[in-house]
Amino acid sequence: MLRVIAACGNGMGSSQIIKMKIEKVFKKLNIDVKIEHTSIGIAKNQAPSYDVVFCSESFISTFDSAAARGTIIVPLKNLLSEQEIEEKIVKYIVNKEA
Amino acid sequence: MFKELIAAKRISFYEAFQTWEGAVAAACLPLIMDHTITSEYVDSIIKCVKEHGPYIIIAPDICIPHSQEGSRGVNDTAMCLMITQKSVMFNEEEGGNARLFFVLASMDNDAHLKNLQDLVEAISDEAVVEKLLNAKCITDLEGLE
Repeated sequence: MLRVIAACGNGMGSSQIIKMKIEKVFKKLNIDVKIEHTSIGIAKNQAPSYDVVFCSESFISTFDSAAARGTIIVPLKNLLSEQEIEEKIVKYIVNKEA
Repeated sequence: MFKELIAAKRISFYEAFQTWEGAVAAACLPLIMDHTITSEYVDSIIKCVKEHGPYIIIAPDICIPHSQEGSRGVNDTAMCLMITQKSVMFNEEEGGNARLFFVLASMDNDAHLKNLQDLVEAISDEAVVEKLLNAKCITDLEGLE
């Protein structure tokens, strides 16, 4: 099972929206996941113990060190676009393109 | 969701704003008027955006100004919407514009999650977003649930 964390500025808005949306897309793709959501400050420290981090594009550099340790970072531009989420899951997680 | 926002007088319309700070403050006004939040919460939202960048923009034209759950200046869980006719620019270098401002305040996580779910469901429908962007007054929102 894939361990996923959704991160945003303070864990109350965007990260919950990301969680709702990616949950739906993972289900559609039949990928077994456990998704949590939190603030960027907490996510930065916890990221290395997760397989994947989803966040807004503007936060991507926050996760450089986790990425170096093998966590997959998936930056999203439009959090509401299931099409973008699906394309990025396939690209970053299924095909493992950096 | 929109019917309830209209009934609670929680939707406002403006032409344009010089600054995103001014836009966020105006967007919060309906919740200040009914004492859901105080100006302390507005300051907190602006501080968060300055600290983390315009991450409150979640999709083209759409932003969700908010700070933390149980933040100072929050008395209840609620949402309000401001629609501007001209785009408000958040960051000249990184870009990021918005015309729909859904302000979120949360005291109760379950109630907040319900608000968020309703919101996400509504604005995942492009036709709804289009209707909101074309609206200039409350009557233009007729037909939205």
